[in-house]
Amino acid sequence: MSTEVREVTPRAEPARPRPISSKATGSDAVFVKGTRTVAATVLVITGGIGVFLASQSIPTLRHYGWSFFTETQWAPETDTIGIAAVLVGTFTVALVAMSIAFPLSLATALYISEFAPPRVRSTLVSMVDLMAAVPSIIYGLWGFFLLQPHASAVARFLHANLGWIPIFDVDADADAAQWEQTRYTASAFIAGLAVAMMVMPMASSVMREVFSSAPLGEREGALALGSTRWGVIRSVVLPFGRGGIIGGTMLGLGRALGETIAVLIIVSPRFDLKFKPLEIGTNTVSALIAGRFGEASVAQLSALLTAGFVLFCLTLLINTLAAIVVSRSRSGAGTDI
Amino acid sequence: MPHSLVATRRHRRARWKRAASAALAAVVVAILGLLAASPASAAYGQIEGTGSTWSQVIVDQWIADVSANGMQVVYTGGGSSKGRKDFAQGSTDFAISEIPYQGAAEQDTSGGREFAYLPIVAGGTSFTYHLEAGGKLVRDIRLSGETIAKIFTGAITKWNDPQISSDNNGRTFPDTAIIPVVRSDGSGTTAQFTTWLDKQYPSLWRSVYAKGGLTSYYPQIPSAVGASSSDQVMNSISAPSGNGTIGYVEYSYPVNKGYPVVKVLNAGGFYVEPTQYNVAVALTTAKINTADPTAENYLTQDLSEVYTNGDPRAYPLSSYSYMLIPTASDDSRMKGQTNKRQTLVDFLFYSLCEGQGKAGAYGYSPLPLNLVQAGFEQIGKLGAADGDVDIAGREPTRCNNPTFVPGDLSKNHLAEVAPQPAACDKSGAGPCLGSDQSQTAGGAPVAAGAGAGGAVTTAGGAANGTKGGTASAASGGALPTAGGAADTAGQVDPETGLPVSSGDGTMSVASASVSTVLPPRPVGGSLLFGVLAAIELLALVLLPALLIVLWRRNRTRAITPTTEDPWLDGGAS
Repeated sequence: MSTEVREVTPRAEPARPRPISSKATGSDAVFVKGTRTVAATVLVITGGIGVFLASQSIPTLRHYGWSFFTETQWAPETDTIGIAAVLVGTFTVALVAMSIAFPLSLATALYISEFAPPRVRSTLVSMVDLMAAVPSIIYGLWGFFLLQPHASAVARFLHANLGWIPIFDVDADADAAQWEQTRYTASAFIAGLAVAMMVMPMASSVMREVFSSAPLGEREGALALGSTRWGVIRSVVLPFGRGGIIGGTMLGLGRALGETIAVLIIVSPRFDLKFKPLEIGTNTVSALIAGRFGEASVAQLSALLTAGFVLFCLTLLINTLAAIVVSRSRSGAGTDI
Repeated sequence: MPHSLVATRRHRRARWKRAASAALAAVVVAILGLLAASPASAAYGQIEGTGSTWSQVIVDQWIADVSANGMQVVYTGGGSSKGRKDFAQGSTDFAISEIPYQGAAEQDTSGGREFAYLPIVAGGTSFTYHLEAGGKLVRDIRLSGETIAKIFTGAITKWNDPQISSDNNGRTFPDTAIIPVVRSDGSGTTAQFTTWLDKQYPSLWRSVYAKGGLTSYYPQIPSAVGASSSDQVMNSISAPSGNGTIGYVEYSYPVNKGYPVVKVLNAGGFYVEPTQYNVAVALTTAKINTADPTAENYLTQDLSEVYTNGDPRAYPLSSYSYMLIPTASDDSRMKGQTNKRQTLVDFLFYSLCEGQGKAGAYGYSPLPLNLVQAGFEQIGKLGAADGDVDIAGREPTRCNNPTFVPGDLSKNHLAEVAPQPAACDKSGAGPCLGSDQSQTAGGAPVAAGAGAGGAVTTAGGAANGTKGGTASAASGGALPTAGGAADTAGQVDPETGLPVSSGDGTMSVASASVSTVLPPRPVGGSLLFGVLAAIELLALVLLPALLIVLWRRNRTRAITPTTEDPWLDGGAS
């Protein structure tokens, strides 16, 4: 009996996985492609704005070179144009606005999400949203006619008592019997106050949403461990909402940098490289564009659009950073108890 | 009982329904009525324009007047530079500008759009100010051209400057900083003012604007404040915070706000205000370019002889304001739109004709008849562009124009009847003061506790040679001389350094207008006050909350000593 070794290749085919397609079919495909197209137009539009502004700014940048960023004066009739002073003014107004809007919006958001009785809460939320719905020209008029007389008195008070700090300095005699009120009006401080009112609801609603999505389990855990209400906020809500606070603030900053008409109404345009928020006279990029756009010649228009391009890049950068921070905060990674 | 209630309710509802349907019917009828009425106004189409805020007050009035006839005219101001720019881009039907297009070198042309200039109204660029002394608005300030030039170039910075005092014949003003308010946008008012500065005071003007000539953008000078339209300039000045400001706007703005304007020294040696008479007198020497009716600059103005007009009534900064109208038959905005051209034609006929009668009351001055007639000829170009436009039957002499002198259109009736300025408005005399104004507007510093109750000066002859008309009559007689001052009669007042008259009744006492210039606060106090302020601010925020917490704690303790945390009844989600 012999054993024969048969060399026959087994006919069994290797197990091949059934092709699974994740490709959408039918109505799904139509829907996906449709929404993708619509979503892409957003990118195309934003990119288009950037490309348009960049292309418009080429002649200006070629003509003025780097001096466009270092020159302070904006005097097209003598061919000197630069945005140094305007950029400083833009950030001055935005910083004043944020230093007022940040504590306001943080406190508002905390109160609404943590302390407000449920029946008041919805009213408060809609009130804050209503603030965001008020047109900015209304804030401008409010700031100019109602706020300015009182705010200039506050500015004088700050100058008189805290004038030894450089940022509160004003080039006027604070102790004069007849104080020079005009020197304290039309300033970055007053424009910043009006802008703060516009920024506050936006920052506040971002913060409120993040606060109210702080995990319930951790809140209850903290309460069960004997924490007070404030303890819960400090150890759960604020660490969890850190990203929301930063993100909301930066979104607000982005808006404050671009705020136009309220600033245009309030400030007295000046092109000085200074950081004296209480003193009369400043200018921002957007107010400069709005103020000079109507009567600009071709070359001036290009210069204005270049200034707009710089502002566009700045706000895009700030808003992108804000979006990154906000999206990271949603995971709750920042929580530590 | 319930039955009857339901019945009445149903009844009431029915009545409501009936009332509502009646109201609806009324609304429908009203709308139908409007629709039926609209064909009557179809002869007109809406026209839009932008430009000068210098002449906006009177233009807005004319627009309100003609809207009753179905003409829809929209004028939004924005400044002369914007007006010319918008017109050149073809985005408006007309523009109003103080100055003509400045030419290709300034990138300021009509961009090929055919147009004609047309004077619409005259007026004076006035200097209005806000200066307080003793809590009252100072009025009746008079300034020479040179002083104005120095103020607006930063050479004079205080209201108590000796040059201002000498312009006012020794009248003194408070030690307040002068804050010039200038236009921050491209402005025809600025252009008119800087033309005058450049012609009259070239060295001062070129110290801030080295290029020389006129500009629509006022150069930046250290103490000045910018505002972006005539309205905003006026708002900045009349704001409660505007003490010390002075700005340049058309006369109508201060007239509307009840603010005083500077009396400006003219070449005839008198200080005058820009009334319709004084503007009319000054503009009799304006050189209007009438050489070639087809030239682009036909009817434009040369004001250099207005500035130096020697008539004692002439206001030096007088000028005409111009409208730009599209004259091409294939104009991009007017082509084939007879109704729009007709609106522009009829609006202009009204403005140049009946509208001129209103100019004086609004702080402007009416056009003389020869310019009205030239304007009518320019309007004729609109008729030439479109044969369907009705321009017939217009006659300037039937316009009820206050400048009209029968028989001679180039004469200006207003200029002939213009009153001569008061003797106290002469340079070196006066000054003419209103009833509530005093010679010493708070200028002399008086140490606290000094004997005299106020700085005593004479409004009349003793001190200054000539007697101010109304000043002593109103404020002099009303108040008795203050104690210490009467004793020094005939002497020199030790506080003010001014001679004191013998107190025979012509005495004027500046009762409430002495400014007290206090010594500055001792150094070092500011830190203490700063800390105090910070503590107060904290207390203001925290105290109410703390009080509420305390109150609630007391209350819960009083009701149930061992109750749970009061916070928990609020409930977090």
